[in-house]
Amino acid sequence: MNLIKSILLIAVVSGFVIAFTGCNESEDPVPVVATTITNLAADPGTGFNPANGQPTGLTRKFTLFSFKTGEIILNTDSATIKWDLGFNGTTIIVNSAMSGPGTSQAQLVNGIFDELTTAPADGYKSDNDPAPIAGAPNPNLAIPTGSGQGWYTYDGAAQVNRPTAGKVIIVKTSEGRYAKMEIVSYYKDAPASPTSANIARYYTFRYVYQPNDTKAFN
Amino acid sequence: MGYFLVDDLSIFAPVKFLSPFSFCMFLITTANAFGQEFDAAADTLKTKQLDEIIVTATRNERMVGALPMPVSLIPKNQIKTMGSLRLNDVLTEQTGLVVVPQINAQGNGIQIQGFNPDYTLILIDGEPIIGRYTGSLELSRIAIGNIKQIEIVKGPSSSLYGSDALAGVINIITDRPTGIRTNAAMRYGTNNTLDVNADVAFTKKKWGVYVFGNRYHTDGYDLSPQNFGKTVSPFTNYTFNSKLTYKFSSATDISVAGRFFDEDQVFRFEVESNGSRTRTAGNGNTHDWNFNPVLTHRFSDKLKMIARFYSTHYLTETKLNLETDGSPYYQDNFEQSFTRPELNAEYFFNDRNILTAGGGYIKEMVQTSRYGDEEKRFQETSYGFFQHEWLPLEKLTVISGGRYDHNTIYGGQFSPKLSSRYELNKKVTFKISGGVGFKAPDFRQLYFNFNNSAGGGYSVLGTEVALDRLAELDAAGQIQIYLFDPNRLGALQAERSVSINAGAHVKILPSLKMDLNVFHNSINNLIETQAVAVTTTGQSIYSYRNILRAFTQGVESNFSYPVAKYLSLSVGYQLLFAKDKDIAEAVKAGYMYWRDPITLATKRLKPGEYFGLYNRSRNMGNIKLFYDHKPSGWEGSLRVIYRGKYGIGDIRGNIQGEIIPPSDRNSNSILDKYDDFVSGYALVNISVAKTINQTIRVQLGVDNVFDHTEPVTIPNLPGRLFYTSVSYSFSKKNIQP
Repeated sequence: MNLIKSILLIAVVSGFVIAFTGCNESEDPVPVVATTITNLAADPGTGFNPANGQPTGLTRKFTLFSFKTGEIILNTDSATIKWDLGFNGTTIIVNSAMSGPGTSQAQLVNGIFDELTTAPADGYKSDNDPAPIAGAPNPNLAIPTGSGQGWYTYDGAAQVNRPTAGKVIIVKTSEGRYAKMEIVSYYKDAPASPTSANIARYYTFRYVYQPNDTKAFN
Repeated sequence: MGYFLVDDLSIFAPVKFLSPFSFCMFLITTANAFGQEFDAAADTLKTKQLDEIIVTATRNERMVGALPMPVSLIPKNQIKTMGSLRLNDVLTEQTGLVVVPQINAQGNGIQIQGFNPDYTLILIDGEPIIGRYTGSLELSRIAIGNIKQIEIVKGPSSSLYGSDALAGVINIITDRPTGIRTNAAMRYGTNNTLDVNADVAFTKKKWGVYVFGNRYHTDGYDLSPQNFGKTVSPFTNYTFNSKLTYKFSSATDISVAGRFFDEDQVFRFEVESNGSRTRTAGNGNTHDWNFNPVLTHRFSDKLKMIARFYSTHYLTETKLNLETDGSPYYQDNFEQSFTRPELNAEYFFNDRNILTAGGGYIKEMVQTSRYGDEEKRFQETSYGFFQHEWLPLEKLTVISGGRYDHNTIYGGQFSPKLSSRYELNKKVTFKISGGVGFKAPDFRQLYFNFNNSAGGGYSVLGTEVALDRLAELDAAGQIQIYLFDPNRLGALQAERSVSINAGAHVKILPSLKMDLNVFHNSINNLIETQAVAVTTTGQSIYSYRNILRAFTQGVESNFSYPVAKYLSLSVGYQLLFAKDKDIAEAVKAGYMYWRDPITLATKRLKPGEYFGLYNRSRNMGNIKLFYDHKPSGWEGSLRVIYRGKYGIGDIRGNIQGEIIPPSDRNSNSILDKYDDFVSGYALVNISVAKTINQTIRVQLGVDNVFDHTEPVTIPNLPGRLFYTSVSYSFSKKNIQP
C-alpha cells in the first residue's frame, strides 16, 4: 500500500480562481476550473533496471482517481463508485463493467482541450470483456491501449511513450457528471524531451470537471 | 559509326521510327536526304554520338529526343570523368535521384520521385537484378566498368516491365563486343579502396566476345570510432561478365551473356540485447550469377522477333561468432532465384505505325532462415504486353501500351500506359505520359519470420505468419505490449500507383536547353512496416500494412549550357512533395495537432505545416561543370550535389548501436515544421584526368571535398575520399575522333 504515499500535487492553472462555494445546486453557473495533476504515480515500481529501462517491484495495482474530489482514492475503496479512473502503466481503466462497480464511461476525442466546451452526447464506452490486467493490452477498454490506438504513441528509437497530441479523454462519471482530461506526460516531472533514462509511469494531466448536471465545460 | 545530330534529325517524324531491319543504314540515308540538317552536325558542340539511343522506354531502340516520356541517359564517358566505381556513385549525382540507406540505416537504395527504393526496377540489359532481401537493391553490388550507358526512365513502366516499376526503371546497358580492344584500369583511394578491372572485346567475322573482370576491395570506414566495429565493414568483391555474340546470317543473331558476382565482408558488431553488450565477429558472403541468351531473328524488314531466356540466382549468408570464445552467435541466409523465358515481336507496319507485343513466364523461388524454416517458397507469373507507337501527324507521337500479369499469389494486374509527344516548333516540344504501376507484395512482406538479434534487436513478421507467431509469443508470455492490433494487419494487396508526367523540352537559346517535367504519383495500398508489439525483453516486432494512400508530386528541371567550347555546365533541380494523403487531409480539416514539448500546450497543425513523408527532401539539385578538351587529352569535372533537409522516422538504432533520433518531437507522429530535421547539405566532387596518346589515362579526384559527414543520421555517406587511377586502352580500330 505504498501507493498512498504517492505524491500528489494539485496545481491551479493561472487565470482561474478556485471558487468552492460548497453550496448546493445553486442556479448560478459555477465557474469550472482547469486543474493540472502532476506526477500521478501509476505503479512505477520500486526502481528500474537501468540496463533495459524496465521497472522493478511492480504492485500490479491501479492508482484510482476521482474527478469530483480531485484526489487519489485508496485501493481499499476500489469496490466503490468513489473513483472514476484507474492508472497502471499505460493502461487506464474506467469504473464500470469489468473494471469496477460503477457506471463510469469514457471516450477519446480528437481536438484541443481548451476548445472542447461541450461533452459529446454519446459515444461513451464501458470497460468490456475481458477484465483488464495491469499492464496488459486490452482492446476492449473504453480508453484503448496500444501505441497510436489510445492516448499515447510509442517512440521506438527513444524508447518512450508520448501522449499523442490532440487526444482528449471525456469521462462520464458514475454520478452522471462530465470531465475532460488531457494527458501531457508519462514521465516524472514532465521533461520536455523524455528519454528512456526518465522515470516512467508518472502521469501529468490536466482536467476540467463539471460538477453540475450539464455537458458544458465553461 | 558516324556522328549525327540526333535532336535535329528527330524533328523529321518518319526518322523517329526506324525499321528494325537496317537501323544504321536508315539513319545514314535519311541524314543524307536532309543534307542541310546534316551539315549542322559539323558543329562539334551540337553533335551527339549515335549512342544516344535508349531501349528502356519502349523495349526498342529509340532516340532519346524522340520519346514522349521522361528519360535520361548517362553515357560511359561521363561515368569515367566522374571517376565512379559502383552504381550508387553514379546515380547519387543525378537530378531527382537520392541514394538512401535502408533498414538499420545500412546500404544504398535509390529514391526516384519520392518513391522508396523498392519501387524502382533495376535491370541489367533489360533483365531484373534480384536480391532485394531488405526490400531495396544494394546498388554497390553493381560494378560499372563494363557499362556502356545507364538509362533512366521516370514514371510508371509496369506496362512493359510488370511489378516494381512504379517510380521508374534503371537499365544498365553493358558493353557489347565491337572491334578488337582492351582496357585495363586500376584505382586506389582513401580507406584502402582498390579497384582493378579489365575488359577485352574481340570480334572476328561472325563471332564477338566480350569479357570483363573486376576486383573491388575497401577497408570500409568508421564514422563513430568511439563504438565497437565499423560503420561499413571491410569487404572485397569480384565481378565477372562475359558476352558472346554470333551472327548466323544477316537476319539472325544470338547473344549469350553471363555474370558472376561474389563478395565477402568481415564484420565486427557489438550486439546489445537485454541491456548486455556482446561483441561478435563474423563474415558475410553474397553472390549472384545470371545467364541470359537472347536470340534475335528478322523475318522480314517489317517483323523482328526476340526470344530471351534469363535465369539468375542470389545468395547471401551472414555468420557471427562470439568474440570471446568463437562460438556461433548468429546465422542468417537468404537465397533467391528467378527464371524467365520471354518472347517478343516488333512489327513495323509503316513509317507511322509500329507494334510491339510479347509474353513470358516467371518462376521465382525464395529460401531463407528469415522465414523461420528453410522451406522453398515459389511464385509464378504469366504475362503478356503490347505497345503501339503511332505518328498520326508529322509532329505528334502517341505511344499506347499495356501489360497483364497473372500471379499465383496476388492474382491479376493490368497496367496501361499512354504517352504523347508534340513538337510545337523547333524550339519547344511537349511530352505527356500517364500510366499505372504496381508492386506485388514480396516474399518478405508475406512470409518473413525474422528475429535480428544482431542488428539492434527486432523481429519482422510477414503478414501471412504474423498472427500465428504473435499468438505463440503471447502464449509464451513474451509480449510486453501491443502497439497495433494484429487483427488489423490483414492480407496484403499489390501496391498501385496512377501517375502523370508532363513536360517540355525547350531550346531557350540555340545552345541553352531546358527540360522540365511535372509529375504526380497517386499511390494506393502502399505497404509500410508497422510496429506491432514490444517483447518483454524490449525488442520491437514489426509487420507490414497497406497504408491506404500517399502521393508524391513535384517538378524536375534540367538545364544544359555549353559555357565555352570544351566546357559544359548543367544545372538540375527537383522540388518534391511526398505526403500521406490521409494525414494531409486531416491537417486540412483541422484534425492534426502538435504539443509544444516545452509548454506542453497542444496546438492545431495548420495547413502547410505538415512537411510530408520521412526521408524525402523538398529541394534537391546539382550543378556540374564538365571539361573535355580532346586535342590535349585533358578532362575534368566539378560537381556540387545538394540535398535539402529531411525528416527521419522511428527507425531506432544504426549498425553501430547508436540511437537515430527520430524527427518527431511534438507527439503527433508526423513530420511537421516544428520537428527536428536532418540539415540540408551539399557535396562537392572534383576530378581531373589526362589521356596520353589515346591509350594511357591518369585520373585524380576528390569526392566530398569538404568532408561532410553525419555519423548517426547518414551512415552511408563516407567522408572525404581521395583517389587516383590509371588506365590503359588499346583498340585496333581506333574510333576516337
